Amino acid sequence: MAEALTRVLYTEDEPDIQAVARLALEMLGGFTVEICNSGAEALERAPDFNPQLILLDVMMPGMDGPTTLARLRELPQFANTPVIFMTAKVQPAEVAGYKKLGAIDVIPKPFDPMTLAGQVSAIWERSHG
Amino acid sequence: MAELADLQAKLKLLSDDYVAKLPAKLEQLVQMRDGLVQSGWDVEGFENFHRSVHSLSGSGKTFGFADVSVAARNLENYLKPLLQAKVQPDQEQREQIDRLLNELKGLNSVREKADDTVMVDVSPVGVAVSVPRRIYVVDDDRELAAELKVQLSYFGYQVSVFHTLDSFRLVMQQGFDGIVLMDINFPEDSLGGVHLISELQQGRTAPIPVIFLSSHDAIEIRLEAVRAGCVAYLKKPVNLGVLIDKLDELTSTQNAAAYRVLIVDDEPELANFYAGSLEQAGLSVRVVNDPLQIMKPLLEFSPDLVLIDMYMPSCSGMELAKVLRQIDTLIGIPIVFLSSETNMDKQLAAIGLGGDDFLTKPIEPQHLVSAVISRVKRSLILRSFMVRDSLTGLLNHTAIKNQLDHEMARARRQSKPLTFAMVDIDHFKNVNDSYGHPVGDRVIKSLSRLLKQRLRENDVVGRYGGEEFAVILVDADGETAVRVMDDIRKDFAKLLHLAEDKEFSVSFSCGIADIAHFSEASKLTDAADRALYQAKHSGRNQVRLADAKSD
Repeated sequence: MAEALTRVLYTEDEPDIQAVARLALEMLGGFTVEICNSGAEALERAPDFNPQLILLDVMMPGMDGPTTLARLRELPQFANTPVIFMTAKVQPAEVAGYKKLGAIDVIPKPFDPMTLAGQVSAIWERSHG
Repeated sequence: MAELADLQAKLKLLSDDYVAKLPAKLEQLVQMRDGLVQSGWDVEGFENFHRSVHSLSGSGKTFGFADVSVAARNLENYLKPLLQAKVQPDQEQREQIDRLLNELKGLNSVREKADDTVMVDVSPVGVAVSVPRRIYVVDDDRELAAELKVQLSYFGYQVSVFHTLDSFRLVMQQGFDGIVLMDINFPEDSLGGVHLISELQQGRTAPIPVIFLSSHDAIEIRLEAVRAGCVAYLKKPVNLGVLIDKLDELTSTQNAAAYRVLIVDDEPELANFYAGSLEQAGLSVRVVNDPLQIMKPLLEFSPDLVLIDMYMPSCSGMELAKVLRQIDTLIGIPIVFLSSETNMDKQLAAIGLGGDDFLTKPIEPQHLVSAVISRVKRSLILRSFMVRDSLTGLLNHTAIKNQLDHEMARARRQSKPLTFAMVDIDHFKNVNDSYGHPVGDRVIKSLSRLLKQRLRENDVVGRYGGEEFAVILVDADGETAVRVMDDIRKDFAKLLHLAEDKEFSVSFSCGIADIAHFSEASKLTDAADRALYQAKHSGRNQVRLADAKSD
C-alpha cells in the first residue's frame, strides 16, 4: 500500500487559479497545500515544506515549469519527488515529452475544481502502485 | 455533504470574484495589444501578451466559463507560431488577432447583461450531491393535495402543500431545494401551472425538477409541459406507484463514481492518456502496462470493465481475453478491445475469443468515456438480474438465503443481535382476482418500496416468492424488529392502491425470529415461518415474534 499523500506543493502565478486549487485540494483532497507564486519561490520554500508531491504550472513568467523541475532535481532531497505538470490541453506526444523531462504525469488546464483532487490522488496511487 | 455545500459556496464566491475581474483583464489585453502596435511588436511585450492570453485560456473553464477558455485558446493558438517565428505580424495577421481578441471581449459583454446566470457547474459526475427529499405539491384541489401529502409521507418524503400559484411563487423566491408536483389547470389560468414553472425556470443553472399532474392528456399540453422543463407528466387520477418510482429515481444518489475500469496497454503514455480521460469523467481507473501483471489488480481492484490493447509484446489482447474468460468469477466482466485494427474479420475473431466489443484507435476521449460508461451500466444491470427479482429489484430467494448465511456469520463474529422476518400480504389472491395481475404487481412493488425505504441501508430485503418477502434486520433484537416491522405494517395498511377508479387498501402479516433463540439459518427461517402462520391464524394484519420454546 502506498504511503498516504498529505503534503502538496503547487506553483502557479495566477492568484485566481491558486485560490481555486487550494480550495479543491484542501477540501476535497484533504491535503496540506503550500502555494508558491513562482519557480524561484518553489525552490526556496520546498526544502522546509518537504512536499511529497509537486504540481508545477508549465508557463510562468521568469522560471517556467520545466526549468523549475530541472533545478529541483539538482537538490538531493527532491531528486525523486513526483512532479505533475499543469498545462493547457495536450496531445499524447506532448505528454510523453513532459514525462521525458521527469514529470510523472500532466493534468490539463483548465482543470475542474471538483475532480482535481481525485486526479492528483489517482496519479499518486499509480506512481506508488 | 455539508462540506460539499461549503465548498460549492466558496467556489461560487471565487467564481463571482473571477467574473468581476474579467472586464479589467480583457481591457488589459486590449491595452497590451495597443502597446504592441506602437512598439512594433517587441518580443518581450509580445511574450507578455501571449502569456496573459494563455492564462485566461487555462483558467476560464475552471470557474465555469468554458467559452472564455475556448476563445482565449483560439487567440493563443494563433499567437504562438507568430511569437516563435519572432516576426512582426503583417496587416492581415494583425486583423486576425483583433478579430479573435474582439470575440473574447464580446463574450464578456454578453456575460455582463446576463447577470448571475452563469455559475460554477456544481454537479459533476462522480460527486454525490445532497439529495432533496422535500416535495412541493401545488394544486387548488385541496382534497387531492392533502391525500398526496399523506401518501407520500409513508414513503419518507416531506411534503409542503400550496393551493395557489401565488403562495408557491412567494416560497420559491426564498430559495428552493426539492421536487415540485404541479397541477396544470388553475382557476385563473387553464395552463397556470405550466406558465409559472416556465417563469421560474428562467435564469436558473440547475432546472427545477417538476412533475406535472393533469386531467388532460392532449399532446399540445404535454408539449407545453416539456417546454417548461418537466421531468414527468402524470395523468390524474395519479397512480401512486408510478409517482413514487419517479420520485425515487429523481432522488437516487447513484452515479458513475463507483465504476472501475482496468486498462491493459503496453504503451504507458497512451494508457495514461485514456486513464486521464476516464478519470476526468469521474471513473476510477487502474493501468497495467505488462499484461502478465494483470491478476493482482484484477482481484484487488475488481474492475467493472477491462480495456485491453490488442497488440502487446508479451501476450496479445486476444490471448489475455481467453485467459480471463476461463476464470469463472470473471465471467460477468465486459472486456473491450482497443486497437488500430480495422479488419472486420480480425475484430470478430477477437470478440469470438471472449471480448465484448471493439473500439478503434485513435478514439476521441469523449467517445471512449461514453462507450465505457454505457457498457459498464448495461453489464451491471445484467449482473443484477442474476441475483435480483425482476419485478421489485429485491434480492431473489436464493440470493437472500445466501445473504442470511453471510449476515449470521458476521453477527456471531461480532456478537451482535440479528433477526429474520417473513412478510406475507393478506388475502393477496383477492387482489389479483378482483383487479387483475397488473394491479397485484403494483401492490407488491409498493410493499417492496416501502420496506426498502423504511429499513436501514444495512438491512437486507428480498422477495421470497409470490406475495412473500423476507427481511434480515441486522443489529436488531426481536423486540426492536417487532417495533420496526409493526410501524411499517400500520403504514402499509393505510396506503391506498388504485385500480381503475376504485381505491382499496391491503394489509400484511409478519413473523419474526431472533438468532438469540434460533442459531442455525434453517431453524431461524422455520421459526419465522411458524410465527407468520400464527399471525395469519390469529386474524392477519399483525406482527408475531417466534417463541423461544418453539425451537
